[in-house]
Amino acid sequence: MSEQVQHAEVLVLGGGPGGYSAAFRAADLGKQVVLVERYPVLGGVCLNVGCIPSKTLLHLAHIIHEADELAEYGVGFTKPNLELDKMRAWKQTVSKSLNDGLAGLAKQRKVTVVQGVGQFSSANTITVQTESGSSTIQFDNAIIAAGSQPTKIPTFPYGDPRLWDSTDALDLKEIPKKLLIVGGGIIGLEMATVYHALGSEISVVELMDQIIPGCDKDLVTPLARRIKKQYKNIWLETKVTSIEAKTEGLQVSFEGKNAPESELFDAVLVAVGRRPNGLKISAELAGITVNEQGFIPVDKQQRTNVPNIFAIGDIVGNPMLAHKAVHEGKVAAEVISGHKAGFDALTIPSVAYTDPEIAWMGLTENQAKLTNIEYDKAVFPWAASGRSLSMGRKEGLTKILCEKETGRILGAGMVGPNAGELIAEAVLALEMGSDAEDISLTIHPHPTLSETFAFAAEMITGTITDLYVKK
Amino acid sequence: MTRLSEIKVPDVGNVAEIDVVEVLIKVGDIVVLEQTVATLETDKASMELPASSAGKVQEVFIKPGDKVSEGTLIATIIADDAAVAAPAAQPVVEKVAAPVAEPVAPPPAAVVATAPVSEPAKLPDTPKSALGKAHASPSVRLFARELGVDINTLSNGSGRKGRLLKEDVKNFIKNAMSNPQTKAGAGIPSIPSVDFSVFGEAEVLKLSKIKRLTGQNLSRVWLNLPMVTYHDEADITDMEAFRNSLNAEKVKGEIKITGLMFIIKALVAAMQQFPSFNASLSSDGESLILKKYINVGIAVDTPNGLVVPVLRNVNNKSINELAAELAEKSEKARLGKLMPGDMQGGCITISSLGGIGGTAFTPIVNAPEVAILGVTRAKMQPVWNGSEFVPRLMLPLDLTYDHRVIDGAEGARFMAVIKQNLSDIRRLLL
Repeated sequence: MSEQVQHAEVLVLGGGPGGYSAAFRAADLGKQVVLVERYPVLGGVCLNVGCIPSKTLLHLAHIIHEADELAEYGVGFTKPNLELDKMRAWKQTVSKSLNDGLAGLAKQRKVTVVQGVGQFSSANTITVQTESGSSTIQFDNAIIAAGSQPTKIPTFPYGDPRLWDSTDALDLKEIPKKLLIVGGGIIGLEMATVYHALGSEISVVELMDQIIPGCDKDLVTPLARRIKKQYKNIWLETKVTSIEAKTEGLQVSFEGKNAPESELFDAVLVAVGRRPNGLKISAELAGITVNEQGFIPVDKQQRTNVPNIFAIGDIVGNPMLAHKAVHEGKVAAEVISGHKAGFDALTIPSVAYTDPEIAWMGLTENQAKLTNIEYDKAVFPWAASGRSLSMGRKEGLTKILCEKETGRILGAGMVGPNAGELIAEAVLALEMGSDAEDISLTIHPHPTLSETFAFAAEMITGTITDLYVKK
Repeated sequence: MTRLSEIKVPDVGNVAEIDVVEVLIKVGDIVVLEQTVATLETDKASMELPASSAGKVQEVFIKPGDKVSEGTLIATIIADDAAVAAPAAQPVVEKVAAPVAEPVAPPPAAVVATAPVSEPAKLPDTPKSALGKAHASPSVRLFARELGVDINTLSNGSGRKGRLLKEDVKNFIKNAMSNPQTKAGAGIPSIPSVDFSVFGEAEVLKLSKIKRLTGQNLSRVWLNLPMVTYHDEADITDMEAFRNSLNAEKVKGEIKITGLMFIIKALVAAMQQFPSFNASLSSDGESLILKKYINVGIAVDTPNGLVVPVLRNVNNKSINELAAELAEKSEKARLGKLMPGDMQGGCITISSLGGIGGTAFTPIVNAPEVAILGVTRAKMQPVWNGSEFVPRLMLPLDLTYDHRVIDGAEGARFMAVIKQNLSDIRRLLL
């Protein structure tokens, strides 16, 4: 066991999107950076067991669904031949090419990547357990980007290979005949989409009274309607009370308003949220405040209560999204480098890559109702969009909320194919302080789904011609 | 019968922001007419707000630290008719304490266009938005952050639909730099703080607002004006003899004439000969604004700090009139009852320490005025008249002037005229 001491002007703990963005930005600003990552590759949950692999599989699921639905329009395919090993390999190829890209970017920037599990030993040192032993890194400034992990329910039989978390689900080990998804949030429903396409019979159980809790109900409805037909069961306001491992499957018992009888499943995916890793890094040895849930409180400069230690991403709070972490990481790196940066975004957009996709940003209608803000709302139905109809889809909606007095956009939401791509324009509109008129006067190409955003704005300004809105 | 009445902030002159210093009523209190309900403070004055109606306090809408303006609702009073039988008086600004020697005098219209604008940059009127955020794009918000500007305090931008642009942030900074509210000495190393308790017991006493603002103003002047102080002595033996004879004529109760009245007259006569002493430099430093009126500020020491009431159109007033006016204003100043208007519009200032002592000092110009005349105690001195020493009463005078406007020789000539006027007050008739 060798004890070696290294020094870093900036130490970044965690190589996920937030961590590597922070490390790269700090390096670009002239800092000497050491990045500690427990896994042999950079990219964190997002790139290895989250966003990217799930989107790779969702793309395949999308093709499978679409090919199936085309028969109705005169283009029939035979049932696809699903080769799990090849699919998994393809997914890994995508992640690997990004891993390699990040490794290259780190090298070009002369960021030292240390593989190991880092834990604070003081406000200026971190101890890294590596394969070869333990090493100590002294740092001037640290950025904690240690992320989160799936929430576990203690009474569930986690030793059983048929009880999955999202990482297991992405492993594509098998296609269970009957798959129960515990948690009707974004992660659960994305995995439902994948496994449904691969042939599993899907049941979803959700504690709240709607899937994707927190999202406006009108945006969720088109997805709810579609998956209601596709999936075997969607039990809302229902809770799983126990999961019992039996040889023939996992016996699941339920409780609640719509609770079914106890039922046997071939696999159960638990997707009930994620927990920050704040309690796992010996933060107390550095004097860093960590709350009971494991979040590390920070200010607008991403600074913790310890002035030379910053924290970003999942570990500082919800929403646990890569794009939030990336921006926060850059802020922390810039502040350390003497820039007067601050996390100042007006909104962090959310996207569910389900089919249809759901995306929203800014104020939701649910939130708007809780405030005293007077707002105008417009919902444009994609049934009036030529582009959507030509894709064989008509369930989509584009919703926009504008402040009554000024017309400025407060929030927007979309449901429909590619909603995740469309929401970016709404985010830009919000950040720029655009009002409904600005949006409706901006020429959107025809025929595109992006037009629906302008149409919704036209409904607010009263200039829409693609619909007849009674005054 | 009961009815509800409101206490609002009255018109206190052209003041955008008024601080609430103290709230003296709470819900349920019974207030009587004219009872002080709150203490308010502007940059220039503090005032006690009297109740405009009597009754029981139903609700109080302000708390210390709030910023209010004319018309802001202070409290609602459930008035009972018996209690308000007395005629409801208009809210009166009862006590106005101690404005600062501040150069914000609103000059007459003719001068407004070119006078140095020392109005503080306006902060309110943030564009209303439901998100409570300024109407500015991310890049502009970042730019503001880099410059240390809280963009949410900026008023309507110059972009489309009032959007704040980088130019607006730059202009805000420019205004802030030329704004007299800004702490003078920006960019100058500050004096390091010292823990005095190490050396013995010490107590922290908060400066009054007047003292703080006076301090800022003086620091600003000190840093901005190249000042020269010129010392001389005037022979006031004859003037004093005349003054004493005048006062001897006065019946009891009449206001006595002080030496300061003659000094004012002598100074004003000199200003009429030297217009550049009755002037201000434009804020860009490119032109001189000559004033066609002569108002003289008199520095008055009060328990709250230094204030400078202004005597107006001094050239058109008699010594008796001036004596009465100054007596009245000094009294108001000492009682903290001067209104902001009483302290605006000065052309030159006199700072007299004659009542206390001294031989000479270096007063600081009350910019944008260009000169200040300091006076210390007159002393009987032996003066060589060519053949012998004769006892003469000599008055030390200290003239500080803005060297950008006044040359050394001009300063000396100006002082010579003041001296002549004081030595032989018959000259004031000329």
